[in-house]
Amino acid sequence: MKATFARRHTSPEGLLALLVLALAMSPARAHVQAGEAAGFFSGFRHPVSGLDHVLAMVSVGLWGAQLGAPAVWLLPVVFPMVMAFGGFLGLAGVPLPGVEIAIALSAVLLGLAVAKEARPPLAVAAVLVGFFAIFHGHAHGTELPTGQSGLLYSIGFVVATGCLHLSGIAIGLVHRWPWGRVALRVAGTLVAIAGFGFLWRAIR
Amino acid sequence: MTRRALALLAAALAGSLAAAVPVLGHENRPGFLEMEEKSPGVYAFLWKAPSDGETEIHIAPVLPPGCALATPDGQQLTTSAILVRGTLHCEGGLAGRTIAIEGLESTATDVLVRVRHSDGRLESHLVGPASPSVTLGGSTTVSQRAASYLKLGVEHILMGIDHLLFVLGLLLIVSDRWMLVKTITSFTIAHSLTLAVATLGFASAPLPPLNAAIALSILFLGPEIVRVWRGETSFTIRHPWVVAFAFGLLHGFGFASGMTALGLPKAEIPLALLLFNVGVEIGQVFFVAVILLLERSFRTLEIRWPRWVEALPGYAVGSLGAYWTIQRTVMLFSEAR
Amino acid sequence: MRTRVPPAGTLAFFAALLISARADAHLVTTGLGPVYDGIGHLLLTPEDLVPILALALYAGLRGARAGRLALFVLPLSWMLGGLLALGLGGAISAPVPALSFILIGLLVAIDVRLPDGAVATLAGSLGLIHGFLNGPALAGAGPGALGLLGIAAVAFVLVALASALVVSLKAPAARIAVRVAGSWIAAIGLLLLGWTLRTRGV
Repeated sequence: MKATFARRHTSPEGLLALLVLALAMSPARAHVQAGEAAGFFSGFRHPVSGLDHVLAMVSVGLWGAQLGAPAVWLLPVVFPMVMAFGGFLGLAGVPLPGVEIAIALSAVLLGLAVAKEARPPLAVAAVLVGFFAIFHGHAHGTELPTGQSGLLYSIGFVVATGCLHLSGIAIGLVHRWPWGRVALRVAGTLVAIAGFGFLWRAIR
Repeated sequence: MTRRALALLAAALAGSLAAAVPVLGHENRPGFLEMEEKSPGVYAFLWKAPSDGETEIHIAPVLPPGCALATPDGQQLTTSAILVRGTLHCEGGLAGRTIAIEGLESTATDVLVRVRHSDGRLESHLVGPASPSVTLGGSTTVSQRAASYLKLGVEHILMGIDHLLFVLGLLLIVSDRWMLVKTITSFTIAHSLTLAVATLGFASAPLPPLNAAIALSILFLGPEIVRVWRGETSFTIRHPWVVAFAFGLLHGFGFASGMTALGLPKAEIPLALLLFNVGVEIGQVFFVAVILLLERSFRTLEIRWPRWVEALPGYAVGSLGAYWTIQRTVMLFSEAR
Repeated sequence: MRTRVPPAGTLAFFAALLISARADAHLVTTGLGPVYDGIGHLLLTPEDLVPILALALYAGLRGARAGRLALFVLPLSWMLGGLLALGLGGAISAPVPALSFILIGLLVAIDVRLPDGAVATLAGSLGLIHGFLNGPALAGAGPGALGLLGIAAVAFVLVALASALVVSLKAPAARIAVRVAGSWIAAIGLLLLGWTLRTRGV
């Protein structure tokens, strides 16, 4: 092919958009079955339906943004996998004690970390986040409704969780301004207070 | 093996490919079934079997029980009938009845089913191999009909390997992005023009010579591609958009054959024409995008193709164009006799 | 422009996932003949589509040469696997897709530096196994060997586009976005594996 016309680069986003368009235009889309699609959306709804989960996930993103590189990208890479491992345990029927308490506690600790802008060594932060991620995943795993399409449910679930992280990181970008730092710490305090509320409910 | 021998091999490969998939290269026209309610339970009936221009497709509608078809010349609704007109009597009307198309599952064609009820309601369904029957009931909305015309347009271009091959040939000739945009745009304008003219009934082209001419347009690009390889120039290479426009007029008549066969009522034509055309353009833009992206990806991946692979698309355009030209010209004369 | 790649790229990738995920994973009839049926089948079957994309991402991370190898090895081995299945019949019932998701997803997420030969072997095994798994959907009333041709063609195009895209990403943030995508794929695989175990009552 005489190829000079494509030498100048178009943006990769443009290419991706085209790729998506290509997939969307697949003629067979007309045969989508409503029942199958429901699996994706029920998976997507699950992580965003409980306030305790949502606050903890967003806090992970906020904290990552505060810590900066490499934590800001290590967390969104590691967290989904560890959480899925927890979900795997839950699905496989491996019992895990004190899930509700641990989830509430995670909101408290993550909220406090954001509020204090804590800077532990990276390994400590990763282990802390990973430890709680197992409980979050386990809770979702045991709650999985039967008769769903497992793959589509899983995709929806992971995408929703990832989006929560990304929105946390996006919000955390205000960290570059002085007022933003204050706002983040206030947000962390609010998350911690809410966490205490969840904790109270879980223990009672 | 020498380069020439490899090129011959490539041409032979392309030729055998063409022989193996003859049905892909031809116009496919969907079938058409229309029932217009003249008085309660009595319908004017029209069935046009689909055609791909060369082979016969054996399908026929299966009437719902309790319906009887009377034809003026005693013609039967069999799978070999091409065109059947008559009067359909259905006790209690067609609403809620199911019409199936016998044999449609084993084809790659669609049938457009239209019913005009006495109260003016219009319903129209596109049935295909995946769902070869339809239950008549409420009228279809404009957006449903629009979606089916759009789908028809996309399908038409995706099945029209000859149109795609012509576009591929143009891509092999153009040298920069601006020229690419000009060429594809002028091809689009030209075929949209003749598509509209033919569908609105101002002009028409008989299918067999048209198919031969379209094949010739593909063959025409073959030598031009070879000139590009040799670094030579020609009018086509300097102004590919002129050629694209001229031959685009031909291809537009080809696209129109996918629509005129439907025999749509006058009021329906503007909508159908617009959406069908948009569908064709979507398919064409998609094809161009995939080719350009692939070419770009190959360069990123630093693939060094052997010479004969690089020449393969060019030889495919030339040899398939030649093959179709000969085949369709022979058919033209054997039909004329 | 470059720095805007990661979010947009990840978003587009998962939008593609979403679109494909909305459809059924079974035999697809497009009404356009067996080749297009094969194309439709692959685009609407996330069990096959996601591992192909994941492999393309991984090969792209490993560079142009690995991308080239995967580009040719994967479609060919997929054809071979499919033809074997059509000839021999039978199917594997192990939770293969989940394991492919996990393995390749992990490789992408951790950005493991395997040699190019190993990438080619990985592509070959993936193609053989998943191609073989396509057998039941292709046989009988399915699109058969021509459908397989459509599947292999789409696999070729997808690997070419996705791996070349990753090769062209130079910004570190963009490569991390790819790794995030890998971690998501591995996570999906883990959940899928758990779900498979649960539905079997193991």
